[in-house]
Amino acid sequence: MEQSDEELMKAYQEGEEEAMSVIFRRYQKKIFNFALRFLGHRADAEDATADVFLSLMKSGTSYQPEAKFSTWLYTIARNACISRLRRRKNIFSLSFKKASEENSEWEIPDIKTPDEEAHQKDVAMQIKNAIQNLPVSQKETLILRGYHALSYEEISKITGHTLENVKVLIFRAREQLRQDLGSLLQEVQS
Amino acid sequence: MNKDEMIRQAISAWMDGEATPEEKELAEKSIRENEIYRRYAHDLKKISAAMDRWEEEFLSPDLVQRLQNIGEREGFSMKSLFNKLNMNFKLAGSLVVAVLALVVVTHMPYMSEQSKGVDQKLGSPGRPMEKLKQQVQNLAVPTGAPVNLNKPSVSKAVGKPMMASLGIKSEMRVAESRTVLREVADQAYMTTIPQAPWQFNQTQPGNTEGYNKVEELSFKKVTESPLSTFSIDVDTASYSNLRRFLNSNTMPPQDAVRIEEMINYFRYNYPKPERSDPFSISTEVSQCPWKTDHDLVLIGLKGRELDTANLPPSNLVFLIDVSGSMNEPNKLLLLQTAFAKLTNQLSDKEKVAIVTYAGNAGLVLPSTPGSEKSKILMAIENLRAGGSTAGGQGIQLAYQIAKENFIKGGNNRVILATDGDFNVGASSDAEMVRLIESKRADGIFLTVLGFGAGNIKDSKMQQLADKGNGNYFYIDSIMEAQKVLVKELGSTLFTIAKDVKLQIEFNPAQVKAYRLIGYEKRMLAAEDFNNDKKDAGELGAGHTVTALYEIIPAGSKEEPGSVDALKYQQAQVKKSDELLTVKLRYKEPDGEQSKLITEVLNAEVLKAKIYSENLELAGAVAEFGLILRKSQFKGNASYQQVLDTLKNLSSEDKDGYRQELIQLVEKAKALDQAPVQGIQFKQ
Repeated sequence: MEQSDEELMKAYQEGEEEAMSVIFRRYQKKIFNFALRFLGHRADAEDATADVFLSLMKSGTSYQPEAKFSTWLYTIARNACISRLRRRKNIFSLSFKKASEENSEWEIPDIKTPDEEAHQKDVAMQIKNAIQNLPVSQKETLILRGYHALSYEEISKITGHTLENVKVLIFRAREQLRQDLGSLLQEVQS
Repeated sequence: MNKDEMIRQAISAWMDGEATPEEKELAEKSIRENEIYRRYAHDLKKISAAMDRWEEEFLSPDLVQRLQNIGEREGFSMKSLFNKLNMNFKLAGSLVVAVLALVVVTHMPYMSEQSKGVDQKLGSPGRPMEKLKQQVQNLAVPTGAPVNLNKPSVSKAVGKPMMASLGIKSEMRVAESRTVLREVADQAYMTTIPQAPWQFNQTQPGNTEGYNKVEELSFKKVTESPLSTFSIDVDTASYSNLRRFLNSNTMPPQDAVRIEEMINYFRYNYPKPERSDPFSISTEVSQCPWKTDHDLVLIGLKGRELDTANLPPSNLVFLIDVSGSMNEPNKLLLLQTAFAKLTNQLSDKEKVAIVTYAGNAGLVLPSTPGSEKSKILMAIENLRAGGSTAGGQGIQLAYQIAKENFIKGGNNRVILATDGDFNVGASSDAEMVRLIESKRADGIFLTVLGFGAGNIKDSKMQQLADKGNGNYFYIDSIMEAQKVLVKELGSTLFTIAKDVKLQIEFNPAQVKAYRLIGYEKRMLAAEDFNNDKKDAGELGAGHTVTALYEIIPAGSKEEPGSVDALKYQQAQVKKSDELLTVKLRYKEPDGEQSKLITEVLNAEVLKAKIYSENLELAGAVAEFGLILRKSQFKGNASYQQVLDTLKNLSSEDKDGYRQELIQLVEKAKALDQAPVQGIQFKQ
């Protein structure tokens, strides 16, 4: 029988250090892909992933198994990504002309890969761009739901949005995607 | 939200299996009866399918190595992995060959580098194998991701275990040589990586934020100490600081919560001062929300508004910390944006000089009229961080410039922007405080703007502002910069009264005991009230200041902190219907002699419980603060009660600050109740 995350963490806290390596294996790909989709930028996603696991190592001993481990770890991951995003935003946007447009704090610069034109037909590329262009709060909830299949309740705990807001945010994200993907949806087989 | 949107949202939730019964019914009915919604549901499925086209990606070898380094450095070994791996190998069987080929191909670029320095890097014989195993593991274990990604067959093949390949082994050497750099980098992240809710900030290694311990005031019996004396406090830094904590999903440390600063963050509708007094005094009483057999008394001051046209001329010196620690987006960059905002408000009547300090203090911009905006903005934009912090020298120089450009009858002020770390040059804290105190006599005021996280010397900055006839704000965001430096610039920069002290005398016939909420650092001895040499808080133009007392009415059976009855004295209680008397002393900004204002609150108000939304808002904020402080006096305080009160307020929430407060309370509530709560940091 495969040990649950919580059991592994407990084992780790009781000195069985290799339990942590199982946790690492189990989650590193998930966390990296979460960060990659959230940040849309590989180097940033790698840095964020490293942040998350460093944080896990530093605080793993204080984790209490009553808490669902995945929710705990995704919360770290989400915060790590937002921190990256802010840093990036701040680096990109310091311009005094813009100083009054304070509400743009959450927008990230458009992420356009050089060969974007060439891939315009590519479904994956379109969906990537559409997701990258979502506002952060919509993006994070949609990613946690769509790619990590978490419940609204878990998403609410991770992101700090109320349950009701999670529902609204996911809905809005889908509305936006539906608008952005428009014609593409006709071709996709559901 | 219109009906159509409501239905679509219901369908979205329903398809996730997360709909409420009402939504479920609505969604199913709509889909059944209306072609448009059938198509909508179909579209959602297509979106989901389209999303699946963005496939999961594999970790680069570089990242794998980084993670492994993190794991190893922090202590877990890979000992038992090998056994588990072996089992996997047996199962894997047939795919091994194909995968092996793939791996060699994918790792080619890394192979070429490895020939240099392989030998000297060889660790213990066991080590390469372990690394190899880890490498294999990374690729070997299916993630178990719940999403079906329709992976192409190649990645399926990679998703199985494989045998040793030269590629992997060689790659490790290269990666190892990068380890040192990575370690440095990882350590650097540690100081700034976001905190998860269970990581109590103060225990985080590398976090050097400093907070003074706040000892809550306890109940005082009126018969024993009828006088309560304190200095006003118009700082609001604690509120924006705890907002930063909550917004990063962390409960604020208890000592970072100063309730009076939370209360005073909000503006209350007190009447404008009449006559020539610089302020009005308001008093109200209601039942205490968190302890219903107690009462809550509010004392509110409102400062005179200054007509923008009649603002006195200003002589401002920006003293900007550009030491290395400021080199972060939420510090220097935010600071530059904030000062640019401030500069945009300036006119001919203001003069601005900029002094920086880092290593050596320097004058970046000599005193310049506010109308020369581009010159000032240029100087701000060109600020660069680096070096250590010689705060003492900087303060010296800034005050010197302020003095050279002194405007008599004007607003002469040093605006200090820093993360508060004065660690080089002049001085211990005490020396710094003495320096500031000595400058106070020159009629120069001080505004302290705190920036950044992780290194905030909250206690020191508060003390500087306190001693320097000043105020202290914590700037956590552009929004806050906007509030302090644009919207409320008048009260931030223009002092209308200084050394404002309050003394409340309670009537034992009406009040058994009282407790001042917050203001712990502002308490004065009763005799300080009439002592004009004793420094106290400043009031800015249009500013409101609010203090709350929780009182135990005279009839109560409760015995707070019982002391034996005095043996030789008998308290003589004068019969009176008065509940309390508020006495207030203040000085004109350039005056040295204090003036006295007195206001009486009648007990009838207590019985009638006449109060306004001012008291409801202040009470709710205080209640929130008591919960955050885990106060022993919090009684039945609850997040829900705070939320209910705030949501029921009907007056206009013009700037949205109340709405923001509601969100913070909800956030704190969630953090407090989340399953991760109760996890304590080891130590």
